[in-house]
Amino acid sequence: MRPLLRLFAVLCAVGVATTRPAIGQDGAPAGFTADVPADDDAGQGIPGLPPGPPPPADQVDRIARDIGLGLRCPVCQGLSVADSTSSAAVMMQRRIRELVAQGYDRDDINDFFASKYGEWVLLQPRNGGLNQLVWIGPLLAFGLGLIAASSMLVRRDDDEGPDTVVSDAARRGPDGDDVEDPHLARLLSEVDDD
Amino acid sequence: MSRGSVHRPDRRRQRRGRVNLFVLVGGLAVIVPLLVLFAVSFGNDPHEVPSVLEHTPAPQFHLQDLDGKTWDLASLRGKKVVLNFWSTWCVPCRQEHPLLQQAARLYPDVVFLGAVYSDEPAKCRAYLTREGTAYAHLVDPEGRLAIDYGVAGVPETYFIDESGVIAHKAVGPVSAPLIQSLLGPPQRSM
Repeated sequence: MRPLLRLFAVLCAVGVATTRPAIGQDGAPAGFTADVPADDDAGQGIPGLPPGPPPPADQVDRIARDIGLGLRCPVCQGLSVADSTSSAAVMMQRRIRELVAQGYDRDDINDFFASKYGEWVLLQPRNGGLNQLVWIGPLLAFGLGLIAASSMLVRRDDDEGPDTVVSDAARRGPDGDDVEDPHLARLLSEVDDD
Repeated sequence: MSRGSVHRPDRRRQRRGRVNLFVLVGGLAVIVPLLVLFAVSFGNDPHEVPSVLEHTPAPQFHLQDLDGKTWDLASLRGKKVVLNFWSTWCVPCRQEHPLLQQAARLYPDVVFLGAVYSDEPAKCRAYLTREGTAYAHLVDPEGRLAIDYGVAGVPETYFIDESGVIAHKAVGPVSAPLIQSLLGPPQRSM
């Protein structure tokens, strides 16, 4: 049991240690504020220098829609930003397109919206931190179940061995020969000693 | 005891009476988190998403109001600011409008600002001419300000303290007790 608990503690520690901070100390996503003074950024839609060159113009809409599909519409029930026609989603999709056209990638844009709306806005939770339990949990439960089941089966075999009546006939086997079982032989010798 | 009758009923009975550690720990591992989850979650409004911006510096803005005057949040440092996102098509916004106008008059040292959310400036001007207003209303045509503040719907009101930090985000129409709890007793009587 202790090794299992240790394993679980190690997995939790790994999960916590690999948590990626989505929000910088100033409340803005870390990747967006590195090079821009605070007074020049938010509200004007220029959250920082993009990490790379902008994609080709004919790719912007497709990339923006793809990113919008991964963000939750804040006023809808289970709809992504790309799928919703609400004013909030339209504004968000427009902002995504602007950021894509400036050269921001999916991670930057996800970080940006998560810093404004919380991790809740991401339709697919990040595979990091405590969220890893969602991926590890079922495997862990399956492994623990297997161990528990095999342990019970081993105990049942153990119970049915020495605790049952062992008659001379049964001990001799169907052919009348002595059964070569060292465990049983040791038990029988202990009984004889008593 | 003869060899042919090795029987240990007591041992089996002992095992049956003993607590199975696997079952105990496994059961607790399932039940305790569920109980904690239920205890924490029951009573919460599932539609209410807590703002991640509370107690963080308010996003800066540099926007014009409906009259063309430019407003910069940085220039308001040292004053409390109440930023209310609203629109004319929003019924709760229209319901809270008189209360906000009254509050703006009761708290002259606090800067009240409206922010037009997904609405046409001409409609807003007509509405404010008809209903009256005691403060300026920012125009946010691209919705950038709303996104920077994580606005999910209207009305939403942000209470920004003197140091430029969002002290509270109110979702839905504000109430007089809420305003008073955040801004203190009125600075002026009606």
